[in-house]
Amino acid sequence: MLDILTLERLIARALRHGGTYADIFCERRRSYAFRLQDGSIHEGTTALTQGVGVRVVVGESAGYAYSDDLSLDALLRAADAASLIARSAPSGAEHRVELTTMSVPPLYDETRGEHAAAAQYVALLERADRAARAYDARIVAVNAHVADELQDVWIATSDGRYVHDHRPMVTFGVQAVALAHGERASGYVGDGGRTSIAYFDTHAPDELARDAARVATTNVDARPAPAGEMEMVVGAGGGGVLLHEAVGHGLESDFNRRGTSLYSGRVGERVASELVTIYDDGNLPEERGSVAVDDEGIPGQHKVLVEKGVLRGYMQDTLNARLMGTASTGSGRRQSFRFMPQPRMCNTYMPSGESTVEEIIASTKHGLYAKSFAGGQVEISKGDFVFMVAEGYLIENGKVTAPVKNATIVGNGPDAMTKVTAVANDSRLARRHYTCGKGGQHVPVGVGMPTVKISSITVGGTQA
Amino acid sequence: MTPDDAISLASEAVARAQRAGAAEAEAALSITRRFHVEARERTISKLEQSTGRSLHLRLFNAGRRVSVTTSDLTVEGIDRVLREALAQAPFVAADPFAALPDACGRCAGDLDLFDAHLATRDDMQKIDDVLAIERLIREADARIVNSSGSHYADAQTLVALANSHGFADAYVSTQASRSSSPVAESGGVKRTAHYGTAASHSRDLDANETVAALAARRTVEMFGARKPPTMRVPVIFERDIAAAVLDDIFAAVNAANVAVGNSFLADRIGDRVGSALVSIVDDGTLAGRLGSAPFDGEGVATRRTPVFERGVLRTFLYDSYYARKLGAATTGNSTGGGIGANNFYLEAGDRGLAEMIAATPRGVLVLDTIGFATEHATGTYSRGARGFMIEQGELTYPIDECTVAGNFCDMLAAVDMVGNDLRFDGSIVSPSFRVAEMTISGN
Repeated sequence: MLDILTLERLIARALRHGGTYADIFCERRRSYAFRLQDGSIHEGTTALTQGVGVRVVVGESAGYAYSDDLSLDALLRAADAASLIARSAPSGAEHRVELTTMSVPPLYDETRGEHAAAAQYVALLERADRAARAYDARIVAVNAHVADELQDVWIATSDGRYVHDHRPMVTFGVQAVALAHGERASGYVGDGGRTSIAYFDTHAPDELARDAARVATTNVDARPAPAGEMEMVVGAGGGGVLLHEAVGHGLESDFNRRGTSLYSGRVGERVASELVTIYDDGNLPEERGSVAVDDEGIPGQHKVLVEKGVLRGYMQDTLNARLMGTASTGSGRRQSFRFMPQPRMCNTYMPSGESTVEEIIASTKHGLYAKSFAGGQVEISKGDFVFMVAEGYLIENGKVTAPVKNATIVGNGPDAMTKVTAVANDSRLARRHYTCGKGGQHVPVGVGMPTVKISSITVGGTQA
Repeated sequence: MTPDDAISLASEAVARAQRAGAAEAEAALSITRRFHVEARERTISKLEQSTGRSLHLRLFNAGRRVSVTTSDLTVEGIDRVLREALAQAPFVAADPFAALPDACGRCAGDLDLFDAHLATRDDMQKIDDVLAIERLIREADARIVNSSGSHYADAQTLVALANSHGFADAYVSTQASRSSSPVAESGGVKRTAHYGTAASHSRDLDANETVAALAARRTVEMFGARKPPTMRVPVIFERDIAAAVLDDIFAAVNAANVAVGNSFLADRIGDRVGSALVSIVDDGTLAGRLGSAPFDGEGVATRRTPVFERGVLRTFLYDSYYARKLGAATTGNSTGGGIGANNFYLEAGDRGLAEMIAATPRGVLVLDTIGFATEHATGTYSRGARGFMIEQGELTYPIDECTVAGNFCDMLAAVDMVGNDLRFDGSIVSPSFRVAEMTISGN
């Protein structure tokens, strides 16, 4: 987007008052989308967002400015604004940087410049609409959307790295609403990833739509969730939201460098049941959270966060890694050029254990089977979390019985992780539709999980 | 860019859209200058300042609607996205309700949305603010040993809107905020909390001392929290959390949700849903408030809309599209792509929070919630909660790791006390209120 000489000039300008480090993040994002409502295509959307962010780091301080005006004057103004953080630092000699183009490891299965023909997207939405309605006569409404996005980033740093990454992302989501005996319930299913729309040639939208319809019709017949403490079985795949919230956020390095996470200073300590191993991986093919390079130009990596219950390491971006005397783990991510990077998760998952799902269900006397979560949130310092169950069932005397709706799970991350009493051999990644919010920034992520048993958890329902 | 320049650019975009083949077009240009500083202890940890621009167009061809967003404001850039978007139009179904609004304009009176003082205030003073808050939270309590940061932010926004029916207008506004997130430590347990203040004029912001004192109190008061018993009791939602409950009420009166059946209020117009204490208003014409604007996202003049009057649901909130579709009139709630709140609030009552607590023999005061589980179609509400147990009219011990749950229709009907502490520090706000009975799940 900008030539090398301009980038070198901007870095020099940004560091003219001094500073430990500076980087320039150039981004162009094109997105192309359609939305279906009431059985027909409701709207088409085209968007182009582009701009440049300039960051200057001085110790633990960072100055940031962006411009969506790409004229040289506007970019120099942004570099000046970012440099103000260093105003009090001793004015160094002019910083000259020579950028070297770094190669980017191949990760995405497809590189292309344009979206596919409009008819292709529209046909997917219409197939989903028909399939959801055909699934059950009680499906009264279907909403669906498809988006195809290409994000190009060019990153130049004061340590001389210049990297370009070209990241595809397709998103397809279906919401089905069921109506029965005067009550409504909805089900949502999404999929896609860092791939092309051709992904849906082999992952039929009909199947996604039927699944959304199945959740909606299951929930419309479900009884209200019980309230109180009970055993919980977390379903494979989508149950991974639990790891993301209950443990993952607490292992992001900004919270740990600042000492605000309950996991601060605890590498090497036991923080979970020995059955618990958690990885975060930026390199998984097609996954939403994967990055060939992160938003600081560092290659995505496989990280061991927790191994057999022992805390092994944090997820690092460059700023926090430097202050903690270690290296970035390729976890510096940002929503767009309008934001500074933060340490973030990529695809967080637990590998398979040795139990079977049947054993786990059979061992549960009175519990909740949370097959998937609609979302969750965690409080970092103490680790308290909450999850909303999207699809849940009661387990009574070793058998899955009635569906329950509107269950909310509350607990404490480290406490829940010590209560993991069985891990099944069925680990898999969830369907790809998760987005994580932190500090006002949203980034795509992946989650995965085998079926896991937690011996006691608080379920918040309306039936006291 | 001046307002007149912005109007010219928006009008030019409309003209280019029509030349490119759009029968009707609307262009909204927004330009925001932002400043943000974060401090931790004696260090400025973040200093951000930028000007962002975004042009959003909606194009209609015989009911076929496409929308365009671009940050490339060059004429070539605008033409390129217009071409691409118009090529999408034939694939969109013709919708008889999709069109520009029938009447545009601005509400009467001066809304006083621009604080000139903010625009000229020296950056060093803003930086001094956050350093002061960081110092004050540590002085407030010895257990406050750390923080996730104290913040000051402000923004000056210019919005210009033009459409092919001849509407072209612009307005400027400001907003500012201060907040703090202390971390307290005691007996090996860390606690965090947050307090923030926001307003369109700096005169309406809480002072540094108030922000620090409230943030510090919220952080340390939760030490010793325990899980409460599972029970059905009266629940008092403190002001900030009451506002979060109003977010869900807003979603339920949002006509876009009503139209697809995703609202528990869908068939309830004219019904007495809430208690007589429930009067909820949407008003875009309040002077100097964060949710005010002379016209909405499609150029419709804002107004005051009573949504609930003494418990009776009077209307949903509409943009012109959903108004046509559902046979109503727009209420001036368009965001340009959806439906949003102006100043949406529960009218204040006459009780102080302390008085409401004193009038509660056994119950819970909710100070914070996490999670966002609302099944809008059925109105089921459930959140992770923390706050205080109330016994014999007094706060007895802090509670956490529990949920508060109920059904919105039941909750609205059971509102039996409303506080006098309404403040307009957001666009959806509420005074504290009490619900006569809800489910707390704990032990």
